[in-house]
Amino acid sequence: MISLVQAPRGKTLKVVAILGGEGVRRRLFALGFHKDDLIEVNSQGILRGPILVNNLTSDTSVALGRGVAHKIMVDIVADEE
Amino acid sequence: MKNSFPVVIFIGQPNSGKSTLFNAIAGPKAETSNFPGTTVKHTHSRVTVEGRVLNIVDLPGTYSLNPSEPAEKVVLSHLYQEKPDLIINVVDASILGRSLELTLELLELEYPMIVALNMVDLAEKKGILIDPGKLERLLGVRVVPTIASHGRGVKELLEAAFACLDAGSRAPSPRLSSDVEEEIKRFSEEIPDNFPVEANRRFTAVKMLESNEVFCGQVLADIEPILNRKLKSAKKRIEEKRGAPAYEVIAAERHHLALKILEQSSHVRRGQHLSWDKRVDVILMHPLLGYPILAGVFLLFFFLIFKIGGPLEAMLLGPLGRLREYFSGQLGSGLLFHIADGLLQGIGGGVAIVLPYFLPLLFFMAFLEDLGYLARAGFLLDTFMHQIGLHGKSVSPFILGFGCNVPAILSTRILESQRDRILTSLLIPFIPCSARTTIILALVAFYLGPFWALGFYFFNILIVAVIGRLLTFFFKSPSPGLILEIPSLKLPSLKKMASKTYVELRAFSKFAWPLLVGGSIVLSLLQFLTLDKILNVLFSPLVVHGLGLPRELGITLVFGFLRKELSLIMMLQALGVEYSHLLSVVSREQILVFTVFVSFFIPCLSTFAVLWKEIGKKIAFLSAGLSIIVAILVSLLVRSII
Repeated sequence: MISLVQAPRGKTLKVVAILGGEGVRRRLFALGFHKDDLIEVNSQGILRGPILVNNLTSDTSVALGRGVAHKIMVDIVADEE
Repeated sequence: MKNSFPVVIFIGQPNSGKSTLFNAIAGPKAETSNFPGTTVKHTHSRVTVEGRVLNIVDLPGTYSLNPSEPAEKVVLSHLYQEKPDLIINVVDASILGRSLELTLELLELEYPMIVALNMVDLAEKKGILIDPGKLERLLGVRVVPTIASHGRGVKELLEAAFACLDAGSRAPSPRLSSDVEEEIKRFSEEIPDNFPVEANRRFTAVKMLESNEVFCGQVLADIEPILNRKLKSAKKRIEEKRGAPAYEVIAAERHHLALKILEQSSHVRRGQHLSWDKRVDVILMHPLLGYPILAGVFLLFFFLIFKIGGPLEAMLLGPLGRLREYFSGQLGSGLLFHIADGLLQGIGGGVAIVLPYFLPLLFFMAFLEDLGYLARAGFLLDTFMHQIGLHGKSVSPFILGFGCNVPAILSTRILESQRDRILTSLLIPFIPCSARTTIILALVAFYLGPFWALGFYFFNILIVAVIGRLLTFFFKSPSPGLILEIPSLKLPSLKKMASKTYVELRAFSKFAWPLLVGGSIVLSLLQFLTLDKILNVLFSPLVVHGLGLPRELGITLVFGFLRKELSLIMMLQALGVEYSHLLSVVSREQILVFTVFVSFFIPCLSTFAVLWKEIGKKIAFLSAGLSIIVAILVSLLVRSII
């Protein structure tokens, strides 16, 4: 289990836990970002910029600041196919 | 009570094409764009369709009915206030799974409802084929496929709306897992009969179980202490059973239900190659390439406006000058001439100086907004925003500020924290809006060259950054992290951009233009009565000694408060020269100092009013005070270095 910040780009990841305060968690749920969703990291801003996450389950994209990304724990899903 | 016309509410998640659909029905009144949460004002519209009058309300986009940002709270309070006769839930078919989460929440209201399955063309391009019939059966309400941008499905949607209104059939609440459902039932039965129930018992119970402890708990503890205790124990039981707080359990329940419905009602063709927007996005959001592109976009933006506006302005100024000569020949130099001259300066200045720059700027802003580029700029600039104590979500209000500060301040409602809202709203008035861009282009670019104007822009942004940095010393608490949805790129339609530009233009001619004309006439009269001299003498310590400008300009700076372009138009009038002969009375340096002062000095009247209304009186006055100090300091600085 690693945090989203450490996750490699372009790999399919599974959201294991969303930690953090209630406000952040509620916001993520509202944006269709839940536990057990499959996601992948698409891009990263320069200089410790935000992380662009593609949610494969709901087919949406969200930019997450590093503080938020630290609190999202993921597992790398074994290579597709 | 309610008037006789049925109230129809449009509600949907941000970027679901809700406003576009609303426009297709009600005409181009609502502003739409491709950024989460830009429809900040809700729009009422009375429309007659097939002889029947409907009272249609377009609400800002919301992700859920559990608000976490001010814009969403507005949605909720209106939804409850209006007690709609019909809800039209607009759903983005291309991200149906996520969109259905709100749909399920809306169904719980058990109001009459239909679903507009919008952007089905986009979904199909992505390989998602949805069976509306199946979806209809699973949701229990009518589902009408639409493509709002082409006006397709609108007629069918209205027919369905009328049918639903006539039948008055209520939507069925979706059922969650039985253990959760049991807790909901148990708690809803505890709600006393005199309790102000919203929509229905079950809905109220669910919303209370989902509610925020701090927010709801305290109020409830005061008015219904017994119910509050029961609520707490119900929440606790759910948490113990499921190992997660009640709000998360219920959100997850809806999420899974939505995914199940998606699976049963649609067929996805996988293995398709990347669509155009995904491929473009890879480059636009690239950690390295993204930045030169961002810079390029803004340079292009700037040069295009100048390249279109400059020649247009030169073309229009000639006839204006001749008309003025004609008037002075005919009317002499009496009162009549002064009034006519003021009128001409106001109307002509608006047409010849303001519009050539204003129109292309509006058009390109519409393009960037509709494309969805603002959210991407937010992603790219997040790191830099941290330097001024904000984050990427504030980028969109800032960029909107280049068009007009007023909607920019309204759009700060998308920011979750009040501190971020205040900070962003204090900085927005320093962003050169279209009015100031006009002045910068018409004075600096025209007389000193486009690179000076570009430099002016950079200097301006630098000043904003410095002020932002200084303000963080007073607004310390850290802002919550960035969570920003990046909507898919959408090719802006020419028609939509044109109609948006038209709406802005209409607003300009309705509010700003009369101010320009009125201001010019007032100045004319003051000149005729030689009252302007008194005011100018009053301001001369600052204007002449401080800024090194001709004394006649004192009065124009004051009037800039009404409308920024007014300073420009009055400047010519006050100096008594035509635009093309400006350099005969002022130097290039003076033009620069004047522009700097006008740009930073005091937010215009509308901005001040919206600051007052949105953020508060204190902040509005703070902003005005701050801008006066900044304007004086920066103008003195510029004067001393050139």
